[in-house]
Amino acid sequence: MEEISNFPLNPEPPEEESPQSQMHESTPDRKTMRTTKPGIKRLILSLTVLFSFIIGFPFLWKSIEIYRAPLPFDRIESFSSQLESDPLHFPCRFQAIFVGFDFSASRGLGPNDVAAAITRKMSQLNPNSSRCGNCIGGDYDVSVVIDSGSSCAQTEGSEAKCPLKCGEVVFGGKLSDEDFDEMLKRCLGNVGGGGKGYSVVVFNGDKEEGEVRAVVGKYRHAWVLGHVSEDEAVSRTAEIFARVFMNAGSEGNSIRSEFMPVGADGRIVLSFSLLNAEPQDWIYDWSFHEIDKTLLHPVIQALQPIANITVESQVLYYTPKSSFSYWDDIHGSHIFSTKDLPFFLNSNEWHLDTSVAAGGRSKVLQLVVYIPSAKECPLQLELPNGDLSKTNGFISPMWGGVVVWNPESCVKDLESKDPDRRVISPQNLQKLFEVLMGQLRQLLGLKSDNLYVGQSGAYILLGSERGFTEWELDVLSGKHVCFNLHSCATTLGSLSRLVQSLPRMIIIDEIGKQVKFSLEAAKFAQSYASTGIYNASAVSSRQARSLVEDAFFHPSIMSISYYSFEHCFAIYSPFFLPVTMHVILAALREWKRYKQENRKYLAWKAKERIVS
Amino acid sequence: MEFCFLRILKLTMKVLVMLLLFLGNIRNSAAYFSSSSEATMHTNNWAVLVCTSRFWFNYRHMANTLSLYRTVKRLGISDERIILMLADDMACNARNKYPAQVFNNENHRLNLYGDNVEVDYRGYEVTVENFLRVLTGRHETAVPRSKRLLSDEGSHILLYMTGHGGDEFLKFQDSEELQSHDLADAVKQMKEKGRFKELLIMVDTCQASTLFSQLQSPGVLAIGSSMKGENSYSHHLDSDVGVSVVDRFTFYTLAFFERLNMYDNASLSSLFNSYNPNLLMSTAYYRRDLYQRHLEEVPVTNFFGSVMETIHTDSAYTSFTNKNFGGAKTKIFLGQSFSSSDINSVRNSDDEDQFNNLTAEEDQHNEVGQCIFCAMDSGHLWSVIIGNVITHESVDFFVCYGLVLMLPLLVFSTWLSL
Repeated sequence: MEEISNFPLNPEPPEEESPQSQMHESTPDRKTMRTTKPGIKRLILSLTVLFSFIIGFPFLWKSIEIYRAPLPFDRIESFSSQLESDPLHFPCRFQAIFVGFDFSASRGLGPNDVAAAITRKMSQLNPNSSRCGNCIGGDYDVSVVIDSGSSCAQTEGSEAKCPLKCGEVVFGGKLSDEDFDEMLKRCLGNVGGGGKGYSVVVFNGDKEEGEVRAVVGKYRHAWVLGHVSEDEAVSRTAEIFARVFMNAGSEGNSIRSEFMPVGADGRIVLSFSLLNAEPQDWIYDWSFHEIDKTLLHPVIQALQPIANITVESQVLYYTPKSSFSYWDDIHGSHIFSTKDLPFFLNSNEWHLDTSVAAGGRSKVLQLVVYIPSAKECPLQLELPNGDLSKTNGFISPMWGGVVVWNPESCVKDLESKDPDRRVISPQNLQKLFEVLMGQLRQLLGLKSDNLYVGQSGAYILLGSERGFTEWELDVLSGKHVCFNLHSCATTLGSLSRLVQSLPRMIIIDEIGKQVKFSLEAAKFAQSYASTGIYNASAVSSRQARSLVEDAFFHPSIMSISYYSFEHCFAIYSPFFLPVTMHVILAALREWKRYKQENRKYLAWKAKERIVS
Repeated sequence: MEFCFLRILKLTMKVLVMLLLFLGNIRNSAAYFSSSSEATMHTNNWAVLVCTSRFWFNYRHMANTLSLYRTVKRLGISDERIILMLADDMACNARNKYPAQVFNNENHRLNLYGDNVEVDYRGYEVTVENFLRVLTGRHETAVPRSKRLLSDEGSHILLYMTGHGGDEFLKFQDSEELQSHDLADAVKQMKEKGRFKELLIMVDTCQASTLFSQLQSPGVLAIGSSMKGENSYSHHLDSDVGVSVVDRFTFYTLAFFERLNMYDNASLSSLFNSYNPNLLMSTAYYRRDLYQRHLEEVPVTNFFGSVMETIHTDSAYTSFTNKNFGGAKTKIFLGQSFSSSDINSVRNSDDEDQFNNLTAEEDQHNEVGQCIFCAMDSGHLWSVIIGNVITHESVDFFVCYGLVLMLPLLVFSTWLSL
């Protein structure tokens, strides 16, 4: 620019022109031709600046780039679509053993026909075969052993001993259900290999044996004793398989999330509270340590695959309930009805949530023992049909359970000034704990009672000292695997949608890792499930869910905490845009000038040639 | 010359608007809503009560929030399920003539700051970021449970906000704003993650209804104290305290709830019908198009109280009887060897915090948040553009294309200047 200002009167003269050009007298017109080659210094200079800008641009781009850990979007997509199209299925192996039946004599049926009949009946009872957690391919691997006493027939591939060896014991001695269960476990062993086969043994008794007794044991066996017809034997077997072993006696086919009280990090905190409504009357204490050691520990062990359970306990004073009760002469007690249950909890006075043991996303289940004051003692729960409740307790799904426990004597010690301190006796404590155990089972979606009434009769469900029988744990694990994987898939889907909708969001490596590990854990869960390893599958699925929850709820994801692209543009454009424009324009102008001057020179050259 | 330039600009803007509308339509049609296949039982109630205003003269906002807090507690929501956010501490303010007391009525009968008030977020903790973290659940690991909204698919949530707001924003702490699309975004993420079954948003600010305009998640019911362009007014001035102590909308809401107890079955529609525009001096606005149930059938205690679903326990689990409780008995644990998968748990690195610093640089609008200042007075074309753009939610597109459009303009103008 400065050079141009040297020639203020003549804007056009090329500044590179040397005085030599003046020597040419033959130059007719300085506007159209020139005698020297145009200089390229200015062109090179301006182009160098432009190129340095262009070369610098990738560096700038790199330096303002946002770090986004790569997320496996396609794997997430395929995982959820696979889970949708092909729900998780477990292998099912069932074995039915009929002792004292002769299907071939009475009906002309072989063991294969009986197996087919059972399968058909099971499909009727369990119609929704594509549901998650059902058997692989919707069909049931049923093997049948028929021991008629004289002959023994079985379906091909059945691994059971034929004839059954422990049959004679049954009819001889009178065994208790528990002993019978142990004996069956001994002589059936692990039916079907892998330890996950379920078996039903039907013993045909004499007519005078009395009523038919159907019992489901605490392992994976059930038996029916008594005089039953062939048809009944088949339908009972099918019902035990389809309704009890596969669904744990629950009617609904869907997996209800309100009965999955496991926190997103795979933990449950069982918080036991003993509430003394009015410590002026009496103060009860309990030896919770004993319960924890002897009764609770096995339960927690049993539930280990489903959730990581921790326990806390507390004793609270001055915790009146918030619903009303009234005196009833017939029952001789104070009554509160099921209508009042929603209002029983006094959230203002019951400071249950200690939150000490529970991490951020754990689930806390409150198990509350309420001891009424002398004014309302004894306090009984009346059912809608007018009966008194046997347990005096209720649950609220996802929250926990409450038991009202009445002291043995409701008479207050009026003389003493000191508070009346008492301890709940071990017998009472055990009874209380049984109710609480029933509530925990209810909270997990099982039944609290030990009787299942089906279409073809009632079944006694033997309980386990671990709180949950093996087949119940199988069902629970299956449900939790399904729930966890489903929730994992939906969370992954939400996360990937979120990440894709925000292209300027920073994704730190940890999120990427969590997603990757979660997908791997989900794969493991699926493969364990397909081989029937319920526990490992439950553990892996829990891990998958908790990892993806960690990723989704990662505190670095906040929609207001990162720049949008416009923001970035707005920050950098004031620095670079004005300069860049001038650099580009200068380069263009120089290029234009050079071309123009060059043309002049060429014109002159051509003219020279003609002249010469 | 300049005139010509403006005409070109207008023309390009028109083209741009057409383009935006088109794009917006495409985006809308492709919008994805995840819907849960099965209906979950309503199992619990949560309340998030937010007062966003600082300073003594905003006493009434804190009183509003504390009144609502008292009401929902009285109706049965427990403290651990209430997230109370108060942006300032009026009770301890030096100008408070009644130290450690807050009143919502000049008769001073009811001290709202009495026993058992658990404030979860106080003072400068009440920020847009923390508010959004509460809603979306993205907290640092160290944040205690009491500060978290631990709701699930079965939760009904009441979200009450009060403060100074304007067209599509609510001012926090006199320094930052919650914008309607921030709120809508948070709610959408909550829905996506199953953090609520139903959500009632109740807002008492000026132009409260504008805060709901971006909401699109099903299951959300919104009620605001005023329509667009209207102010929400305070109810009365307490001459002893020296400032207004309650807002009209909240005052009449409380008046409705004072007549109720936990057992009452009053419906949401009766609450909504109780608002008299003449008394409010503004028009209460309900947005119910996202809400499926009929308001006549929904009791207010579904949101403002906590009525639990209960199931009777039929029987005890009696299999422990064979156990010698209290004695030393060896127990048989069946070998539970679950082969845990070989996944290394992810390291909890400490660098989670590093992005929070960026929040302060969030793109903030420059308009100051009193409702009076936020009237829109640009040209007709702009209002058309903004109207269209906002209805089609493609603000991002708009800005993007605007910037791209700026480039040639810049080139053009530089060229001219040379």
